[in-house]
Amino acid sequence: MSVIRRRDLICTGLALAAAPTLLPRRARAARKFKIALSNSYIGNKWRIEMENLFKSALLMEPFASEIEGSWFNSGNDVSKQSQQFSNLIAERVDAIVLNAASPTGLNGIIKQATDRGILVVSFDNVVTAPSALKVNTDQFAFGRMGAEFVAKKIGGKGNVIMVTGVAGTHVDLDRNKGAESVWAEHPDIKVVSRYTGMWDSATAERNTAAALPSLPPIDGIWCQGGTDGVLKAFIAAGRKLPPTAGEAENGFRKFLSGYMGHQVDGISIGQPPFLSVISLELARRVLKGDYPKKDITIPFPYVTSETVKTGETVFPDLPDSFFADFTDAGPHATVKICVDAALDGKACAGRLAVDLPAA
Amino acid sequence: MTPPRRAPLSQALARHLGLALVATLLVIAVIVYAALYLVTQGRLPGGFELTASVNNTMPLALAALARAIVALTRGLDLSIGGIIDLSNALAALYLGTNAASMIVASALILLAGAGLGLINGALVAYGRLQPILVTLATLAIFQGLAIRVLPQPGGAVPESYTALLVNTGAPYALIYVLALMLLWTVLRRSQAGIALLAIGNDEAAAAANGIDPVATKLVAYTLSGLIAAGAGLFLAASATAGDATTGNGYTLTSIVAVVLGGVSLFGGRGSGIGAILGAFVTTMIVNILFFAHIDPLYQSFYEGAFLVIAVVLAEGIGRLVRRRRVQT
Repeated sequence: MSVIRRRDLICTGLALAAAPTLLPRRARAARKFKIALSNSYIGNKWRIEMENLFKSALLMEPFASEIEGSWFNSGNDVSKQSQQFSNLIAERVDAIVLNAASPTGLNGIIKQATDRGILVVSFDNVVTAPSALKVNTDQFAFGRMGAEFVAKKIGGKGNVIMVTGVAGTHVDLDRNKGAESVWAEHPDIKVVSRYTGMWDSATAERNTAAALPSLPPIDGIWCQGGTDGVLKAFIAAGRKLPPTAGEAENGFRKFLSGYMGHQVDGISIGQPPFLSVISLELARRVLKGDYPKKDITIPFPYVTSETVKTGETVFPDLPDSFFADFTDAGPHATVKICVDAALDGKACAGRLAVDLPAA
Repeated sequence: MTPPRRAPLSQALARHLGLALVATLLVIAVIVYAALYLVTQGRLPGGFELTASVNNTMPLALAALARAIVALTRGLDLSIGGIIDLSNALAALYLGTNAASMIVASALILLAGAGLGLINGALVAYGRLQPILVTLATLAIFQGLAIRVLPQPGGAVPESYTALLVNTGAPYALIYVLALMLLWTVLRRSQAGIALLAIGNDEAAAAANGIDPVATKLVAYTLSGLIAAGAGLFLAASATAGDATTGNGYTLTSIVAVVLGGVSLFGGRGSGIGAILGAFVTTMIVNILFFAHIDPLYQSFYEGAFLVIAVVLAEGIGRLVRRRRVQT
């Protein structure tokens, strides 16, 4: 009996001793802004890179000393993400950076957060809630950029295939519209086939292999994703690799600089995983009060066969499925970050400069 | 040895063992959650946390009840997610802005859910088809219909509707939880409720005792559809807009809630109240893992591990108690 009681006392004592050490640390940390990443699905490379970049940014200045960060995944389960969101409200974070499971499913809880003065920055799969800031790219422009490249390379004349994305999503729709708007300007360009690659290299390869036997010579490829798969199917069918517009898969970029005995004339445009870092920076600056509360559209990072650079925008030692647009390049880059950040969420040397559009 | 005074209690406990276990589990989960919250936040969870948890759990609580009713007949309704999708999509488009239109639209949506459930029931009961196959097929059909109704996320749910179903100011939704539990109790004691469990236990024996298996199955699937449509309304209310795909997840999460709630998927044993409590346990698991600040990459691992442990423990205790009851 007395043994139990003594043990109880020791436990209580330990708890009491622990409490004061916990509380002041919390109070001291409160001077930092608390910013959390609420992500839905984490099951593909793009999302993993996106989250890794967020983690690495938190380790680098100016974020390391100004921000106390955390991150959560819910899968594509809206009620779970909503529950995590309400827990973040309970934690009294200053801002939530959000890649949502549904464009509308979280609107109710987002309003509750913003009503309480929490800044919500949504990116990639952006939400429709009016009180949330949005950070994204212009998918219509993605479609146009690729199509304009192909049109120019083939002299505004020839047979083109379109490899589309996941039907029913805004991104797929807008990218296709962008491409179609370019084809409409070039009556001599013929879209001889159009099929989905599901933004997945294996699917794109399979569907291309199935379509090719019935197709005339192809002068240009316009592809939304899984571009390296499309090219591999062309090689397997013994076809010449035409000018290609595609996503930012490392495998595709290897073809741009020479891969499997082929060198492709192409443009590689990506939905950048560093949208999470841009959103983090936007949240930080809005919280500090030196940037207006406004939506941001960033330009796509892209490379062509002429500008692609080994170790910077293409990585021969990394898998084909790696997204090589984890960093922007060139003189007007929005974010420049090292490959270790994308791979493991490690800090890079030096400060992390994020160039938001002029306020 | 056992004092006779205690016999009724232990008997009642044994009869409602599943319920007792899930209630205990919920209490433990709430305590762990509150303790973690206290340690990390330096205060106890309050009104906001309670309200948010209850509001967020409402669709799942309804989905779990819908699933439990069918599970008791030894059936499986996979189409629940599809009905939620459809109801959610319809609600976002047709609720309107005045009280009359909201009431009429809600009633029609619930009716539509019941109708879809009736189709499931008819295929299972008259067609003598495997419930899993029937409802897998109708799940795809209902999801397709939902996407047709609302091809892209959008629509709007009026604020007054949200305030009525999932008021964000106070946990009024607890009233619906109690109402659902009451509804279940009434159903359980009715002729239909007895029939549900009877055919789940042994269809042939139930039929020999004058219970109509066909009618009972029709009732079960119809109720399931009706309640699933209700889940869709709550989902739309808390999102304040529609998305024809957000209901999909409930097909699986409701199975988890039902199993945690002590409802046997092999029919004949369990309670709707248990299923509702099971839904709240799953929400608490999300909360616990959140405040434990577990690496998000391992979160689903812990969630799965926790479920396996909970189910194995519940099953083990259940078996132990039942065996002891047989011996005494």
